[in-house]
Amino acid sequence: MTRKSAIVLGACVLLAACGTTHENTGAAGPSSAAKCGGPSGSYTIGMSQANVAEPYRQRMDDDIRAAAAAVPQFKVNFADAAQDNSKQVEQVDNFLTQQIDLLIISPNEATPLTAPVKRAFDKGIPVLVLDRKVDGDAYTEFIGADNVDIGRQAGQYFANVLLPQGGKIAEIRGLAGSTPAKERGDGFAQGIQGHNVQIVATQDGDWLRDKGQQQADAILKAHPDIQAIYSQNDPMAEGARIAAQNAGRADLPITGIDGLPIEAGGIKAVEAGRLSATFVYPTGGKEAIDAAKKILLDCQPVPKTQTLGTQLVTKANAAQVYATLNEGK
Amino acid sequence: MTAELTEAPPKRRDILAAVFRFQSLFGLVLVFLAAVVYSPSKNGELLFLDSGNLFNVVRSISEIGILAVGMTLVILIGGIDLSVGSVLGLASVGSAVLLVNNDLGVVPVVLAVLAIGLGFGLLQGVAVARFRIQAFIVTLAGMQIARGLARIWSGGQGITITYGDAPGQAPAVFSLLGERTFDGLVPIPALIFIVVAALAVLLLRVSSFSRHVYAIGGNEKAARLSGVPVNRVKVLVFGICGLLAALAGIVHAGQLNFGGPNDGAMYELDAIAAVVIGGTSLSGGRGSVVGTVAGALLVGVLRNILALNNVDSNVQLLIIGLVIVLAAGLQRLRPASVS
Repeated sequence: MTRKSAIVLGACVLLAACGTTHENTGAAGPSSAAKCGGPSGSYTIGMSQANVAEPYRQRMDDDIRAAAAAVPQFKVNFADAAQDNSKQVEQVDNFLTQQIDLLIISPNEATPLTAPVKRAFDKGIPVLVLDRKVDGDAYTEFIGADNVDIGRQAGQYFANVLLPQGGKIAEIRGLAGSTPAKERGDGFAQGIQGHNVQIVATQDGDWLRDKGQQQADAILKAHPDIQAIYSQNDPMAEGARIAAQNAGRADLPITGIDGLPIEAGGIKAVEAGRLSATFVYPTGGKEAIDAAKKILLDCQPVPKTQTLGTQLVTKANAAQVYATLNEGK
Repeated sequence: MTAELTEAPPKRRDILAAVFRFQSLFGLVLVFLAAVVYSPSKNGELLFLDSGNLFNVVRSISEIGILAVGMTLVILIGGIDLSVGSVLGLASVGSAVLLVNNDLGVVPVVLAVLAIGLGFGLLQGVAVARFRIQAFIVTLAGMQIARGLARIWSGGQGITITYGDAPGQAPAVFSLLGERTFDGLVPIPALIFIVVAALAVLLLRVSSFSRHVYAIGGNEKAARLSGVPVNRVKVLVFGICGLLAALAGIVHAGQLNFGGPNDGAMYELDAIAAVVIGGTSLSGGRGSVVGTVAGALLVGVLRNILALNNVDSNVQLLIIGLVIVLAAGLQRLRPASVS
């Protein structure tokens, strides 16, 4: 940016800040304008991640890192809560001590993180909540995909494409007690409702490949007549594929969810034919940095909720989806 | 031997003994000073020394600290308790279910959950003492059992605690656990931790129970022969450890307004780390609660200063691992005569 355009932009920003009121400007509620220093400032963003052990969450961090690298005013501090609510509370507190300018958080669980997120928000720090929500509305914007909807689309794929005549299937679920496991399960049930698709076996695979294989082994022994497996994520689906092969059912259709655009991810697995389909669960990392730019650099309001759409990945479009999602990386 | 001849060596030994006895206190002071030196600052103010930040550190270690106090007793008798993290999870689920689904008051809920923890610990103690199964195995099983119970009791779902008078809501007083007192500065969990630690120090100072605990850890056979009620003390120690794990679970649920069936995973290892850094010998008989408290604080301060400097979380694991090894290494250097 040239100096002249910077001055012009700065002036516009100043005018805009004086002339408009933000929807969330109020006595109690903090204003995103309060933190907005325009494009000439420099900003520290705190990113609190529920855990980086899952490839999906590592990818979310990577997406944020890549998008922020294109914004010279941004510096992002990353923290990993290792699936521990208490630890994540501590991290948000540490970010507040550091006096960050904006908080991005992907909470491990909603309720435990509500209070610290509110503390940050009440201090006037804009908060972007990714993937999993917090309770109440003390945050600036929620960005995430809809697990129920993705589950529903997976169910519809079974009902309409894989088993239009109906049939028996098995479901391998994520970690019991985790919100996405419930939502992906509920959505799937809605998707197959009214069709003759019957879930004859349900087991928890804890999101893990080896656990997925182990559960699929047992399911295939107990129900050799199943015609497909719905797995709530790609790694468990890959495990189920190994089990199916060992059971002499190499052609058994298996679907996953996540569709991570990485070498070891679900899209490549679909391309290689190991999975029949997967559903992209977008990380929202890039969208979060876009929102941060709007708030901190452009002094613009952002919507309270941004729902990210999913995408069905089959062999037909896998290569193209992979390329699109990795653009600019 | 004359007095003059022996005067010098015991003195040196006394100093050495003090250093080893309070190795974690010295370590804590060192880490604290390093944290001040390496503290990032904003507007000329050291962020680490900000009182809010210092209390954040104490709050963040309070649950692990409560577990570690119980763990110290168990390790002093030469045992180990791997179940405390799962018992914490069970207690947090239990608190939430009883408050929300069963609509009980805070006092009966706290008593019931503490009783569950105590009972769980006592049972493990009986298995260790009466049936002579190794503590490692008993509590390894206990860890799975408590986790399973937590998942079953919660129906596999985390339970959100909301406050109010309506049915299904918890009395607001329970939410105090997540709050701060003295001008919104001192977190309640930190106070509970301090009280627990103080009571444990007292217990290990004045009672015959203390002598029994150290005697069993030092040499069980000798303790038995000299009339120490070994089995009873063992059962009691595991009971106390379970009780404290349940207390930590109650604090956990109150702080987070949530009972999570998967919560507390790996906390047992953090608690053991605090005990080891605190200078308590894993073979039993040597160590102190004060050391454990200092050990827990040391880890908390270290984690805090690393986080404030944005050290990568994986590197943080590495550094804390090295500190554990260092602490255990110091133990081996300790002269046999110093205890």
